[in-house]
Amino acid sequence: MSRSSDLIQGTLDLLILNTISLQPEHGWAIAKRIQQVSNEVLQVSQGALYPALHRLEQQGWIKADWRVTESGRDAKFYALTRAGRVQLQKVLAQWDRLSNAVGLVIRIGAAQ
Amino acid sequence: MKRLLDIVRLRLRSLFGRTNVERELERELSFHLDQLTEENFALGMSGQDARAAAKRSLGGVSQIQESCRDMRRTNHIGTLWNDLRYAIRTLGRTPGFTFVIVLTLALSIGANSAIFSVIQGVLLRPLPFAQPDRLLRVYFQSDSQPKFPLNPNDFRDFRERNRTFESIAALTRHDVQLSGSGADPVMLRGFTVTGGYFHTLGLTPFRGRDFTFDDELAERGRLAILSDHLWRSRFSADPNILGRKITLNTETFTIVGIMGPDVQHPGNNFQAVADGDTVDLWMPFALYDYPGDRGSHYLDTFARLKPGATQAEANADLSTVLQQLMKEHTGRGWRIYTIPLYQETVGRSKRMLFVLLAAVGLLLLIACVNAANLLLARSSARVREIAVRSALGAARGRIVRQLLTESLVIALAGAALGTVLAYGGVRVLVSFLPAGFPRASAIRLDATVFAFTLIVALLTGLLFGLVPALTASRTDLQNSLRESGRSATGGAGQLRLRNFLVVGETGLACVLLIAAGLMLHSFVNLLRADSGFQPQQVLTASLSLPMQRYRPMPKRVAFYKQLLDSLAALPGVQYAGAGTDLPWTGYDGNADGYKIEGRSDGYNSKTTARYHAATPDYFRTLGIPLVRGRFFDGREDYVSDFAGVIIVNESMANRYWPGEDAIGKRISFRSRPKEKDWMQIIGIVRDVKDEPNSTTNHPAFWLPHSQQPDPNMLVVMRSSTDPALLANQFRLAVRQLDPELAVADLRTMNQISSSALSTQRFSLFLVGLFALLALVLATFGMYGVISYSVNQRMHEFGLRMALGARPADLLRLILGQGLQLSILGAAAGLLCAAALTKLLGSLLYGVSATDPVTFSAVALLSLGTTTLACYFPARRAASADPMHSLRSE
Repeated sequence: MSRSSDLIQGTLDLLILNTISLQPEHGWAIAKRIQQVSNEVLQVSQGALYPALHRLEQQGWIKADWRVTESGRDAKFYALTRAGRVQLQKVLAQWDRLSNAVGLVIRIGAAQ
Repeated sequence: MKRLLDIVRLRLRSLFGRTNVERELERELSFHLDQLTEENFALGMSGQDARAAAKRSLGGVSQIQESCRDMRRTNHIGTLWNDLRYAIRTLGRTPGFTFVIVLTLALSIGANSAIFSVIQGVLLRPLPFAQPDRLLRVYFQSDSQPKFPLNPNDFRDFRERNRTFESIAALTRHDVQLSGSGADPVMLRGFTVTGGYFHTLGLTPFRGRDFTFDDELAERGRLAILSDHLWRSRFSADPNILGRKITLNTETFTIVGIMGPDVQHPGNNFQAVADGDTVDLWMPFALYDYPGDRGSHYLDTFARLKPGATQAEANADLSTVLQQLMKEHTGRGWRIYTIPLYQETVGRSKRMLFVLLAAVGLLLLIACVNAANLLLARSSARVREIAVRSALGAARGRIVRQLLTESLVIALAGAALGTVLAYGGVRVLVSFLPAGFPRASAIRLDATVFAFTLIVALLTGLLFGLVPALTASRTDLQNSLRESGRSATGGAGQLRLRNFLVVGETGLACVLLIAAGLMLHSFVNLLRADSGFQPQQVLTASLSLPMQRYRPMPKRVAFYKQLLDSLAALPGVQYAGAGTDLPWTGYDGNADGYKIEGRSDGYNSKTTARYHAATPDYFRTLGIPLVRGRFFDGREDYVSDFAGVIIVNESMANRYWPGEDAIGKRISFRSRPKEKDWMQIIGIVRDVKDEPNSTTNHPAFWLPHSQQPDPNMLVVMRSSTDPALLANQFRLAVRQLDPELAVADLRTMNQISSSALSTQRFSLFLVGLFALLALVLATFGMYGVISYSVNQRMHEFGLRMALGARPADLLRLILGQGLQLSILGAAAGLLCAAALTKLLGSLLYGVSATDPVTFSAVALLSLGTTTLACYFPARRAASADPMHSLRSE
């Protein structure tokens, strides 16, 4: 049951939800995209990615179906459900609050 | 909402579409692997290298799969399934152990279900009337009469003047004889009821109508409402029966209604008929037939409170009316007494049922302790298995869960078997219920009982499984794996725990044994107690002369005189008599407020006595001895000159003429105050108890039947042989005198006295049975613990023998160990029992709740069985082979 992730618990969910909010993606593409967009800072391990996807699916935030990729292969694509969209807004708002707060603390600490 | 549905769909898919889901996950991961490989390939690796690097970077596929399964949350259902299969396999491997533990649990869970189904049917299920919590019973009460029925005129005034009742109705017993339609005449159990009686109870006729106030006029009242069973058995369920004429007591009645099959009699107090489907038909009560009579009380009264009204308000309301009535008419110190119908119906059975529930509860507790003990013994034999499993990475919680699953499987198997036993048990139980037990027809195994059984089983499983599971999972891994099987014991802590359990088990069993012992003692006391009469070889039957043909009193006197003479002339009949009632049948009619000659007191309710009428040989037939004076001689006359005479019992003589001879003294009644109506005491008979367990005797007197010619009499015959053989001759004798007369309630006096003891016999039998089971369980528990500890110590015993111990020393050692536990257990049990047996209350008779004889007998019994249980393991210890121990050292 080890979840070897450097990301704060819950952050991975946020990243996944956000990544597929534009268009449905398969697991590989989600990992790649997070890596690229973060300038290779955030590396999502497969050991964390797939359990997270399954958890989100079980919670009803995302749904999955099998589609054909551009290269002509079968892959499992994940898309946001309506509930997932609402959840994403909630999580984003939470994240904003949290990062603002952390930022404030750090800045005040630096000013002293 | 849609999300919830999705979640449910996905969970179900994960659970039941396991292979599909797994296959998809595999495809998904292999797609990922291919993508990685391609990427590596694009970076310039060779085909094989690219694949290998991809595999490395992906990591353990099976771990990802396992954690995906965890994420799907259905894993633990799979685990449960595995645990279940494992548990069943493991239990199947030790069938003897499983059989014993399941059987003991089944017996105790079954007993609990059976007793609970009685409680559910009698106490918990609502009464079969609409909104039964609004129904009250209404009585009069005085210093001498706790619950007195109402007088018709008082009833009518209450009905008109009360403000708290939606409706109020009354009924009184009126058995009638149905004749005609070709068949033999038959006695029917009937009641006359006031208008709106069924409406008050919240019942509606299946066909036809309820009685109205108009039907209470005597000239209109030749109407009848039939019960469902009478309609079916006697009128073959004729759908067009409304309006049909039937002959009751040789008069014509018109059927105006039929009640449904679920309609129940609510039970009544005066000339009681038990509740249930016990009444054949109902007729209107002629409420306007008794102008001016405020002295006769015989109406059992029911009232339905207005919505929101309380019992206290009703009491206040009726008391106000009663005050008015006592002012308007002659007042006599009456009060109002109301009681909710539910309490009135089941109140007297509550204690017995709770005693039984407590007894089966104790039994279940003992079975739990026993099961825990067996599991503990087993878990120490499984120490190595558990150690190996922990070594292979099983978490402690996982092992506890596995062991708990096992105990739940055992408990559920016990519950399943127990339900089968309860199913049979409840039928037996109901057929053995004391006569007139309230609501017996409502007792059955229903959904509530099944739910109760399931909950009990789950709790039982947890209760007896938790301690062994926790103990077992705390195994010291290193020691268990290192040591050989020889000394794989649970250690001193576990032994202490098992000793504690055995002490507890013995103590609980002692409590049950003491309860059973006290009840047995009481029962013996009841059987030995002087009842005041001799029930052997007496046949009884009830006759009811229809008033239409026997209105003239001399005719009634003549009928019974002729009948009794012809009965007495039969061969084998020693005496024949008749009385208005029989001992031990619940009769409690009282005459109130007579005047004693030579005393200044007027008529008041302080003078009270049971009121009977009897023929001359009634007392000789029942074996009620004469103390002084004489019996009636048959020459007492009603018509000419009326020299009134009575026979009194000792209690009446002693209470009202203390220190004097009551013979020759006279009393008179308010209703017959003239000088010629004074009645003289001619004889004193021994007291007959009201009920077998009555502690005091009520004053009572008898009028000669010739001066008080009641048409309804109970005929008694004393036979020189088996009284049941007289039944046909009796029928014949009745038919010769009056072929249209029905004979009812043919019973021997022995049957009557035996059914009067049925409550005590019933509870004694059940508590005794439970106590016996408890004793067996506790003995097995003791045997298990001692036997186990002997097995563990055989090596040590061998060494002791080698060092000079004799077999007798070892025997004494083991027996001592057992006795120590047993003495502790018995001591704990006796202490608990001393605190608890007071709850037996009225179930005890002539024995104190802390009776030293019973307590010491149970202590001895418990020590005796323990010694027996320890004897066999002790013998084994004594036969330890010193060579064997030395060789293995």
